[in-house]
Amino acid sequence: MQLYEQEASRLLTVVMRILKNRPLSEDVVHDAFIKIWKNANSYHQELGSARGWVYTLTRNLALNALKHSNRQILAEPDFLLDLCDNQVLASAEQPDSISALAEDPLAQASLQTCLEYLEPERKLCVLHAYVDGYTQDEIAKLLGKPLGTVKSWIKRSLNALKECLQ
Amino acid sequence: MNKDTQPTPDIDDDLSGQYVLGTLTEEERSHFEQRLASSVELQKEVNQWQAHFLSITDRLDPVAASQPLSARIERSLDELDKSPKSAKQSTMNSQASFWQNLILWRGISMACLVLAMVLGFKLQTVEPILGKPTYIAVLVQPESKAPGWVIQTSQANQIQLVPLAAVEIPEGKALQFWTKADDWDAPVSLGLVRKGETLNLDINKLPPLTENQLFELTLEQETGSSTGKPTGPITSIGRGISI
Repeated sequence: MQLYEQEASRLLTVVMRILKNRPLSEDVVHDAFIKIWKNANSYHQELGSARGWVYTLTRNLALNALKHSNRQILAEPDFLLDLCDNQVLASAEQPDSISALAEDPLAQASLQTCLEYLEPERKLCVLHAYVDGYTQDEIAKLLGKPLGTVKSWIKRSLNALKECLQ
Repeated sequence: MNKDTQPTPDIDDDLSGQYVLGTLTEEERSHFEQRLASSVELQKEVNQWQAHFLSITDRLDPVAASQPLSARIERSLDELDKSPKSAKQSTMNSQASFWQNLILWRGISMACLVLAMVLGFKLQTVEPILGKPTYIAVLVQPESKAPGWVIQTSQANQIQLVPLAAVEIPEGKALQFWTKADDWDAPVSLGLVRKGETLNLDINKLPPLTENQLFELTLEQETGSSTGKPTGPITSIGRGISI
């Protein structure tokens, strides 16, 4: 059964980042494994890697557990931006080889590459939501922006990312 | 296209991204999940977002799970495993096969399999053993998934690309060895591979190896790709794991 231990650590990392509370995070990771086990047959393997499914399921449990947590909202822009730091723009433009490489996983656009195209504040909104699990309301307060602005930034950022990732 | 896969309006796509990002309220999320359960299109979208965002997740420094947590998970799963209700028997069977196939675990089992293969391979060769491998990847043929090459590193600061079987390279062609970490923009060439030879590289001349780093061999002109990027068909591909 030690097979899952490696992934348990990674899941714990993700949940700890959101809840900032170790005992509560361990409860969530435990519950996530139970839920993964019980719902395993609802995942269709033809969709590809189940790893993403496992992480979304676990993150959602963490987000649901937020109401039991009194976490601190922190900005930490350097930490977040480092997560997607990529010296990419210099070599990103090579249109002639793109079609030849379309089938090659090495050549697919990465999220990191595409995040580089977002303005820093919008990129931070996306990262706060994903990495920290902050609500849009919390992000708005943290950045001192109206909630509507943050909501619209996140929507537009997702659209831009989708376009770039295709 | 049948009725179940009718074109998805933009709003769904927006929700798929927001669902993975975690910006939906609990109520919106549970509503979306109900629709997700019955829509293959939505599942595909969500899966694509998940796969992309995992590249950020994988850059977080892991917090070690405590022994008590691992033991607790193990106990709970064992209990679930031991007490299948009779009505759930068939579900449990399909779950068991799911777990066996789950890519998540497969990657890890693959490391064990590869390790076994490498150790087996070493017994058959007169190659000097460089020390215990610390990083390993098995490259398989894209179609048949047959293992063709193993990449391993050891404390001796060497990265080795070891053929597991006879390698056929057409006249006038060469195999070029490439690697790319999730967060790199472009693949890097690690050199050309000659028939039946183990390729040794100095690890200090390469960027640090990362978890899940992609390695592949492509069939190129004898002198290697002229563009500096893979251009020919992939003959073997795999990802690296630390052990």
